[in-house]
Amino acid sequence: MKRVVITGIGCISALGNGVDELIDGIEQGRSAVKRMDDWAKYNGLQSIVGAPAVLKNTKDIPRKKRRSMGRMSIMAVQAAQEALEDAGINNDDVSNDRCGSIIGSTMGGAEALNETFETMLPDHDLSQLTSMKFFQCVSHTASMNVAQYFGLKGAVMATSAACASSLQALGAGTDLIRLGKQDIVLCGGSEELHPTVTGSFDILFATSTHFNDKPKDTPRPFDKSRDGIVCGEGSGIIVLEEYEHALARGAKIYAEVLGYNTCGSGAHVSQSNKEAMVQCLSAALAEAKLSKEDVDYVSAHATATIQGDIAEVEAIREVFGEKVPVNSFKGYIGHTLGASGSIELIAALKMMEKGVIYPTLNLDELADDCKGVMHVKELIDKQINVIVKNCFAFGGINASLVCRRI
Amino acid sequence: MNEIEQMVNDVFIDSFELDIDELKPEATIFEDLGLDSLDIVDLVVALQKKFAVQIRNDDRVRSIRTLGDIYSFITALKSEMAD
Repeated sequence: MKRVVITGIGCISALGNGVDELIDGIEQGRSAVKRMDDWAKYNGLQSIVGAPAVLKNTKDIPRKKRRSMGRMSIMAVQAAQEALEDAGINNDDVSNDRCGSIIGSTMGGAEALNETFETMLPDHDLSQLTSMKFFQCVSHTASMNVAQYFGLKGAVMATSAACASSLQALGAGTDLIRLGKQDIVLCGGSEELHPTVTGSFDILFATSTHFNDKPKDTPRPFDKSRDGIVCGEGSGIIVLEEYEHALARGAKIYAEVLGYNTCGSGAHVSQSNKEAMVQCLSAALAEAKLSKEDVDYVSAHATATIQGDIAEVEAIREVFGEKVPVNSFKGYIGHTLGASGSIELIAALKMMEKGVIYPTLNLDELADDCKGVMHVKELIDKQINVIVKNCFAFGGINASLVCRRI
Repeated sequence: MNEIEQMVNDVFIDSFELDIDELKPEATIFEDLGLDSLDIVDLVVALQKKFAVQIRNDDRVRSIRTLGDIYSFITALKSEMAD
């Protein structure tokens, strides 16, 4: 089996366009969550908060390339461009059949889907639909557009497992490279903030609803006052590369992907399942051939739901014990759903580079039911050699990834 | 430039990000203005919306080559509707 390393990172988030902007915002303890006044028109929507990204320089993408892109594809292309530049790879060098893209999302372009239905349904009239709506809507819109933009000729795929989508993308990319089928895969996720997306959680009573007038105080992972998810948007793209390929070109290497697992709970479509989380974490650790003592830090999924945070704390405690630092990035940028795994892994890789662990924002008073792991409430200086990243999704789907500094 | 020509030009500026300087009556849709087959679908949708007409299945669309052809086609269509 080939070895797989991370050689480039790029992201768009509500904290800004680029990895540096993301990390600057986190270091300053800034929340990007805002009150979404426009959403008040939706009857029944209880959560009026979100973490929107501000797209910039979109017209740098030529019209014929851009016309098939909704917000999520534009964000993915810009994140991918940053990742390739970070990796020191020219765009021309990925336009071959050894380079691919695997980029996930929850359900494709939410904005384009909504526009399509708003155009078509009132009069049941398809004649006003433009040619590009399909390409902006589909589940593989981000992966397809990234592949078209950069001329990738290898595997082009889209994982779709809600909040686990981008970690599954990284897992699938890792497997392709391990098997020798690809040299480079642009992996990650992209997601759009849209009231219909927040609404899907809202009707299940999973969103934060008590902080509409104090948006920066939510979400509150592991906190006593946590009351649910705040949706965000963005894209995180990671360059996965075959180890020898990276060595041959003298690439900077962030870390090696050692272990990955995804599994279903087989138990419930929405409720978190501690046993399945334990199974996932244990399998990822076993694949990495590491023991719990080797792990320096766990980047939790922790969306600030009542039950989800409890189950994850219990699972982390069972697998790693009480001494491994754990944080959640959701307080800074909201829950970026299908992009959360890759965006948060990027933040974790920067922590590995800097030798610090950032605190969980809005964790002011630890909830009794979330005790039992080492929560990071203030910045910690620590050399991180091994990261574990978690993503747990609706549908009872779990994913965990283990990577180690080389 | 009459009102119809101005409105057609607005479609090209808004939908295809072209400059007014490029919009000469003799400009060919594909070669000079750079549209492709997918753009033509969107051009039809945009013209239908702009002029409140149905042209998707009008055979005359197939013979359009230049911007001037579109001016003439829309002018004829509006004339027919007025009759």
